[in-house]
Amino acid sequence: MFSLNKVIIVLSIILATFVSGNTVAAETGHFGLGTKATKAEIAGWDIDVRPDGQGLPKGQGSVSQGEGMYEAKCASCHGMFGEGEGRWPPLAGGEDSLTEDRPHKTVGSYWPYASTLWDYINRAMPFPAPQTLSVEEVYAISAYVLYLNDLVEDDFVLTQDNLASIKMPNEANFYMDDRPDTSNTRCMKNCKDPKKIIVVESLRGITPEQEASESSTAASKPKLSAAAIEGKATYTSSCVVCHGSGVAGAPKLDDKESWAKRLEQGMDTVVKHAIDGYMGENGMMPPKGGNLTLTDEQVKNAVQYMVEAE
Amino acid sequence: MDNNKKESTKDYLGKLANQVPENSRRDFLKQGVKFSSGLAATVASGSLIANNNLPPNVPSWSKSLGTGVVSTPYGIPSKFETNVIRRTVPWLTADKISSISMSPIQELKGIITPNGLVFERYHAGAPTVNPEEHRLMIHGLVDNPLIFTMDDLMQFPSESAINFLECPANGGMEWRGPQMEALQFTHGMISCCEWTGVKLSTLLAEVGVQTKGKWILAEGADGAGMSRSIPMDKALDDALIVYAQNGEMLRPEQGYPVRLFNPGWEGNTSVKWLRRLEIGDKPWHHREETSKYTDLMPDGRSRRFSYEQEANSVITSPCPENPWGQKGSYEIEGLAWSGRGKIKQVDVSIDGGVTWRPARLKGLVLPKALTRFSLPFKWDGAPGLLQSRAIDETGYVQPTISQLRDARGTNSIYHKNSIHTWKLQSNGKIKNVQLK
Repeated sequence: MFSLNKVIIVLSIILATFVSGNTVAAETGHFGLGTKATKAEIAGWDIDVRPDGQGLPKGQGSVSQGEGMYEAKCASCHGMFGEGEGRWPPLAGGEDSLTEDRPHKTVGSYWPYASTLWDYINRAMPFPAPQTLSVEEVYAISAYVLYLNDLVEDDFVLTQDNLASIKMPNEANFYMDDRPDTSNTRCMKNCKDPKKIIVVESLRGITPEQEASESSTAASKPKLSAAAIEGKATYTSSCVVCHGSGVAGAPKLDDKESWAKRLEQGMDTVVKHAIDGYMGENGMMPPKGGNLTLTDEQVKNAVQYMVEAE
Repeated sequence: MDNNKKESTKDYLGKLANQVPENSRRDFLKQGVKFSSGLAATVASGSLIANNNLPPNVPSWSKSLGTGVVSTPYGIPSKFETNVIRRTVPWLTADKISSISMSPIQELKGIITPNGLVFERYHAGAPTVNPEEHRLMIHGLVDNPLIFTMDDLMQFPSESAINFLECPANGGMEWRGPQMEALQFTHGMISCCEWTGVKLSTLLAEVGVQTKGKWILAEGADGAGMSRSIPMDKALDDALIVYAQNGEMLRPEQGYPVRLFNPGWEGNTSVKWLRRLEIGDKPWHHREETSKYTDLMPDGRSRRFSYEQEANSVITSPCPENPWGQKGSYEIEGLAWSGRGKIKQVDVSIDGGVTWRPARLKGLVLPKALTRFSLPFKWDGAPGLLQSRAIDETGYVQPTISQLRDARGTNSIYHKNSIHTWKLQSNGKIKNVQLK
């Protein structure tokens, strides 16, 4: 933490220079608007965590506890070993790759502070059900992600007391913005030799087609059942992440063939797999897609929607 | 002109289809609706009614009644303008919930982006926030932690400013070379609105910031709990707590009912659906300011807190979507902007940067706002390499792509503000190129 403190001191000096002569008005509550925030109200929303550990709630979680939680709630997007599914972010690997032509930025190879991992999992993960994990789950999953990056041993227990002492390998390689870093000049004539200009054309033709709105096809869509209409909202908030893009072997919404194959087992089985979770040949379905706040009924309706939707 | 435009767009998409890998082409076809239905409609109806509505005939709309008032209580653009929409690059992100769309800057006039066309950037989708239940909490190193309702916020004296909003990844797909044959995709992660709200400094005075308070954590109420550390000097300078854009309440996409707005800074610092400001003595180093929105350099080190959007410009006409037709008189037109202040000058080159001539700045020239430049041009049909170069009031001159790559390599993702080159072909069509 010593180096961080140094950065902060430098920052404070820079800021003091900017701020001098422009201090916050001394008189507080000039307009008398707003109501006093109580300690309980602040505590409910004050979730942020800093590199020095400030903001961490009391609690702990071990690598071994985190393994199962990670596999149930994180692996469908981030991969069983943190390698990342599809275009979802990889979490592990990439050591010493930052100077390579194709750097591999992960928690272990790039992130400067372990606190960021805890804070981010707590505030934003799992992607379809943010801010639903318990404090213990956040500690355990954080511990497991650190373990996937070989930063802790398999018997490690992460707590509010030891998190700030975990040193991330890339911490020293961040520095404050020092731009401008180019110094072009305003030349008007004979600025370069026209014979030496080399024109580089597009690497690949990958520009998306510029289609107009999708709504014009809506009229031809078949009508959905009441259950499917109910389920659409759940699909949009919790299922689309995997079933929209087909990661982790998830049948895509419009992949009739894959759905038909699954439906051969009967709708009840498909719904049961969606509620309880399922490990298939090509991938896995976490229980309720990783969002355990959903009711069984909501999951059932969402499945109904996916089966009916085109 | 319309016919030329139609033909060129068709050709252009045909060529694209030949360039894309087999499976992506199938994806394209699946998407069904083809290019520019608005344009197609214009052209189709143009030929259909050519005999009836053109001079010397009196057009049908002059011989009948139009629609009455409030037939569309909230007005919408003409049905002939359905091509003017936000678009995204599907392969850029894992899904649409944490993704970005681009403004159709190739179609826009003046400097203001209409609210329905402001580019979108979500980290966990756009939440539906009930303004009556929304609260902004300010706490931390303050004398008087407070919770504000929307009514409270709107009771403070309001301020308005016209400023651009730009994602630092604008242009970021082209560090290694040109990729996108469309201005909307090369430069569309930018918009410019009149933003209205209360000065952040006013709210900070209300809570009484303690002398140790040097940083502010801004946090959103979205599912990403989007959070950024903002230095106190910016907060006291020109940061606004914004609840309106272009005269109406914020759109949900833009953070309804309230967002932070940091003029001139990378868009993600202007945290949307703002629920909390915590005053502290150090930055927080959260995910969106460490893992993301940091700039990796060739030596393996990374720049952090790279807030400012440096001076940038691009020619919007002609561009791949707005080709020229026959030789004749045209206006080379474009947009310039700088996060450090006003645009002082824009120069235009038609020979790939060998010679430059000053363009005229049109209309409003405001600090940290989109600025229009213009250069009337008599085109003799010769091919060319069109460029624009912005200079801001700090004297900073927009760099070439080579200068930028020399300084930063090709892996820094963000803040690519290099001089852009359009290759003008003798048929008037425009290709996206880079010069070595």
